[in-house]
Amino acid sequence: MAQVLDAYVNKSVNVVTADGRIIIGTLRGFDQAINIILDDSHERVFSSTDGVEQVLLGLYIIRGDNVALIGEIDEELDKTIDFSRIRADPLPVAKT
Amino acid sequence: MLFYSFFKSLVGKDVVIELKNDLSISGTLHSVDQYLNVKLTDVQVLDPEKYPHIQSVTSAFVRGSVIRYIQLPPDDVDTQLLQEATRKEITQPRKE
Amino acid sequence: MLPLTLLRTAVYHPMLVELKNGETYNGHLISCDNFMNIHLRDVICTSRDGDRFWKIPECYIRGNTIKYLRLPEDVLGLVKEDTNEKPTRSGPPTRRPFRGRGDGGRGGHGGRSAGSGGDHRKGGGGGGRGGHQGSRGGGRGGQQGGQLRQGR
Repeated sequence: MAQVLDAYVNKSVNVVTADGRIIIGTLRGFDQAINIILDDSHERVFSSTDGVEQVLLGLYIIRGDNVALIGEIDEELDKTIDFSRIRADPLPVAKT
Repeated sequence: MLFYSFFKSLVGKDVVIELKNDLSISGTLHSVDQYLNVKLTDVQVLDPEKYPHIQSVTSAFVRGSVIRYIQLPPDDVDTQLLQEATRKEITQPRKE
Repeated sequence: MLPLTLLRTAVYHPMLVELKNGETYNGHLISCDNFMNIHLRDVICTSRDGDRFWKIPECYIRGNTIKYLRLPEDVLGLVKEDTNEKPTRSGPPTRRPFRGRGDGGRGGHGGRSAGSGGDHRKGGGGGGRGGHQGSRGGGRGGQQGGQLRQGR
């Protein structure tokens, strides 16, 4: 049913997790439970005092329970963003 | 299944989704599935100053379980029809 | 590709598992099932705050307590090798479809070509603690390079 995610496979996606992390990576696969495979992934750690820190993560399987949002990234737009200048609190945990 | 059918009737309309992590995003309802997972196109975050986390996202898949509210376009909801469908659903034995 | 197919391919590889409670488990995958329950050996457990460690010879983790898994990059290549052995699309149906559809079916075939470790693209990841990874020595060892940064 979640075949709409097919449209994102092998594309760069921005995953917001239920525990408030932002993980960027290439979507390599998914299943019914929205477990997902992210390749070449990195986390963007937001901070209200410093710019965004990017942390390499590599190959990840994220369990569906922990997935809040999967967004398709406009790579051109993404390149124009200067993350060192962005100040923002980390996203809160998605309380169930 | 009632809400699934209901949201299917709103495909193509603009909605605002508030997530359980307090993030609110607007967009065009592209599709919905039986878990009320939702896909939006032309995504925009309502408070981009506070939430720059998904700036470069153009379309997004949101897991139904992290959705707190979906704001509907009032003119596109036929409340009369919805009431009838609700009555029908509770009087008819559930298929499946 | 299905996440559980990838996980099955990762049998005998080192991995990091973070649980919903924030604890992490570093170890070698022995087996897993369709609920994502996993069996690890030679495990180092790290507390949520990252300052306490326990060495555990073996542990079993219930799938629904998992937040995410971090795998060595080359496992992805091993899955592809597996599927490419058979004729790909437009040919006759493959025994293990690349992307399952419908029925949630995960066709069995735990097929784990212990194949020729593929390319080692990544030198080392983020900095940080650890160093215990090489403990089992042998073939696979080093690819996980720098050990994983603990969550925030």
